[in-house]
Amino acid sequence: MKYRPTPFFANAVLVLSLLLLVIVGIFYSGAGSKQSSAASPHLTQADWQVDDAQGFSAPPPVLDSASLPNTWQHSALPLAPPIALLRQASTKTNATLVHTTWLRLSVPALPNHDSPLALYGARIKTDGTIAVYVNGRLVYRAQEQGPLWNGTRTPLWVVLDRPANSAPLSEILIRLEHTQGTRVAVSSLWLGPVETLKVRYHLRQWLQQELPAILSMAFLTIGIFALFVWFRRRHETSYLLFFNLAVTSFLRSLHFYMGVPIANDWFAWLTVNSLLWLVLVVHFFLCQLHGRQLTWFTRALVGVTGMVGVLTLPVLAVLPNTPKVTPLIYPIAALMGASVGWVGGVNAWRRRSNEGVLVAIGVGICTLLGVSDWLLQNNFVSPEGWYFGAYSNAITFGIFGTLMYRRYVNAIAEVERANANLAQRLQQREAELEQSHQQLREIEQRQLLSDERQRLMQDMHDGLGSTLISAIRSVEQGGMRGADVSQLLKDCMDDLKLAIDSMEPVEADLLLLLATLRFRLEPRMESADVALLWEVKELPALDWLDPSSALNILRIVQECIANTLRHTRATRIRVATAMEEAGVQVIIEDNGQGFDVAATLERANGRGLRNQQRRAQAIGGKVTWRSGATGTQFALWLPLRRDC
Amino acid sequence: MPSPASGQTPALIHVAIVEDDPVFRQALAGAIEGTQDLKLAGAAGTRAEGLAMLEGPAADVLLVDLGLPDGSGIDVIHAAVQRWTRCSVMVSTNFGDETHVIRSIEAGASGYLLKDSSPARIVDEIRSLASGGSPISPIIARQVLARFRQTKVSAASQPMASNEAPPLSAREKEVLELITKGFMTNEIAKLMELSPFTVRSFVRRIYTKLKVTSKAEAIYEARNLGLLTN
Repeated sequence: MKYRPTPFFANAVLVLSLLLLVIVGIFYSGAGSKQSSAASPHLTQADWQVDDAQGFSAPPPVLDSASLPNTWQHSALPLAPPIALLRQASTKTNATLVHTTWLRLSVPALPNHDSPLALYGARIKTDGTIAVYVNGRLVYRAQEQGPLWNGTRTPLWVVLDRPANSAPLSEILIRLEHTQGTRVAVSSLWLGPVETLKVRYHLRQWLQQELPAILSMAFLTIGIFALFVWFRRRHETSYLLFFNLAVTSFLRSLHFYMGVPIANDWFAWLTVNSLLWLVLVVHFFLCQLHGRQLTWFTRALVGVTGMVGVLTLPVLAVLPNTPKVTPLIYPIAALMGASVGWVGGVNAWRRRSNEGVLVAIGVGICTLLGVSDWLLQNNFVSPEGWYFGAYSNAITFGIFGTLMYRRYVNAIAEVERANANLAQRLQQREAELEQSHQQLREIEQRQLLSDERQRLMQDMHDGLGSTLISAIRSVEQGGMRGADVSQLLKDCMDDLKLAIDSMEPVEADLLLLLATLRFRLEPRMESADVALLWEVKELPALDWLDPSSALNILRIVQECIANTLRHTRATRIRVATAMEEAGVQVIIEDNGQGFDVAATLERANGRGLRNQQRRAQAIGGKVTWRSGATGTQFALWLPLRRDC
Repeated sequence: MPSPASGQTPALIHVAIVEDDPVFRQALAGAIEGTQDLKLAGAAGTRAEGLAMLEGPAADVLLVDLGLPDGSGIDVIHAAVQRWTRCSVMVSTNFGDETHVIRSIEAGASGYLLKDSSPARIVDEIRSLASGGSPISPIIARQVLARFRQTKVSAASQPMASNEAPPLSAREKEVLELITKGFMTNEIAKLMELSPFTVRSFVRRIYTKLKVTSKAEAIYEARNLGLLTN
């Protein structure tokens, strides 16, 4: 993670965000919280009766409750007569025979109020038209086309406009048409100014329809996100399952807030069956989490789901997807849900899959919510309760969102760990490499030192050492003049200077090496009165030119010039360099008397020439002489490259 | 080798020496005695004596040995540059090797003398130095070139240093390059159509620049190390 805000700043952002949410919450819940029960009485008592009628009929605009048969029974609200589910399902559709349930509520005297009044009830459930009369006048109608999918989740909300000089509100009459065998349910009602009741209505409306819709959309959005993740990571089927779960959930929850009429159509088929599919998807998810196949259990679930799917197909209409039949299908779903939750939970527990256990618990909760819905829908519990089933969506979303979240966070942590690991390993490798380099360098250094020591020893032994010994011997034997001793010591000094020059940094530059030699020899040339023609040209770098090779070259060239000065009586020496195909050449010519090269090499005193040959060989080069009466040409050839 | 200082110049060249080897001191005294224009103005055998000598009247040329029994001749060179501002300092060395010579030049020396030089050569070198010339060897020329190349590189990254370290002129560079190829002062003078003395004075100028450069580098280094605050 590159960007890390300071903890203080991060905390401030968190607190601010939460504060904003709290403020919004206070604002919404506080709007019109000035409720007073005196201003808006709670109507909890009603008279009711059920009449038979021939077919559904439109509610008349004006109706006097006195015109109804006087068979009123008193009841407390909420009213939810029990339903015989099997009888309801097996009832042959007799369109002509319908029931009308009437509810009559007397209204206590209301304090005078200028603002319009509203009638509010948590729920009115019927599969026919709902009509509300106030003082005998029709003020509200709903479900003229039959029951709506979201009907039982839509609270009753009637705004009563009060004519200026009308009588005070005294009676509310509710007319509920329904088919034979089905039962109605009516919650207790509230009557009061719009301002005070609005909050209750909006809260219920929001919690029962709007919030589930929002959550459902959110779930679908995340599902689509997961789908795109799966497109890029085909091997991780859990993302695809998550998408499937989101889609199925979305389908299942459509009926919670869609105001479409209930009919045995594809929408109904999808609504009923998607619940079973949902259970099935969750089962597959659980299998992935606990890692067991559970072949037979899976087959049973698929079998049941498939069978229900086929039986409820609208084209076959074996089992219509109507509110009369579905209450019998839903227990199957509840049973499936419970068993999936149980089996998945047990397996996840055994396999130590916390996520599996979490999902199983979620399935259990969702099943319980479904059961509570079912009880509410079928008048087993008070119609003032809540349909929590809409929130099973939210629970599913929450749980699977948690899984995705954990996976996401773990993945990031994993990447970070991997990076850290990589960096660490890299560092380790680097350290190892550095160490081995160090060792290599040390070995090289030691080797170099040892080589150099050996070279110096050899050099002192052969050169300076032997010259000094012969000088000492000569002086001791007394057969030596002072000038000779001086010359001998000067030779020693020259030799020492060569050794020192060979160790100067010449950087593979043969020309620089020759220049150094010339610089050294200059006083001697001057005193010998020999003209030196310096006709050198640039030469390519000789990478192999180390101190030891440099000393060999210096000795070869010095020996050559010393020989010329000593033996040839030359007056002019020309030094030149030349490039050759695979090497370079140093040419030294003089105009002195020549010598017989072959003979000299044979003779005992030809040691100087032989030394030159030997030294040249040691550095992979060669020396040649061409000598005549008018002078000698000496050439030292050196390779450009030496493989060693 | 014609030298403007040789011959019948009325000005006497005062030579002082800091050298612990009495034989070389004697050789030097002998060489000077044989001339009309040189005079041995003072001699010291240790670093302490050398520093004390610097309190006295200034000589024209000071010959300093680096390996003194009580310390380094470099200290004497530093002090001489401070005290005897018009004096040319010359380091006497056995081999004229790069390490010793460059260090001396950076300390403020203008030349060096090989101890095994002939008396004639010794007085020639002293005369040349007194008249504003400086000797150089191919290896030292190469090292000086390398120094200035380094400075140029470090100056690019540190503009402050470039103000203080003057770069080599094209002619100065040419002189150094010819020297690394083995050409002698006379030959270079011919090649570049200069007098041999001018070539030697070029070398003196290069040495002065090297001293400044090394000083600038030292200051730059010191600043980097936090030893100096602007």
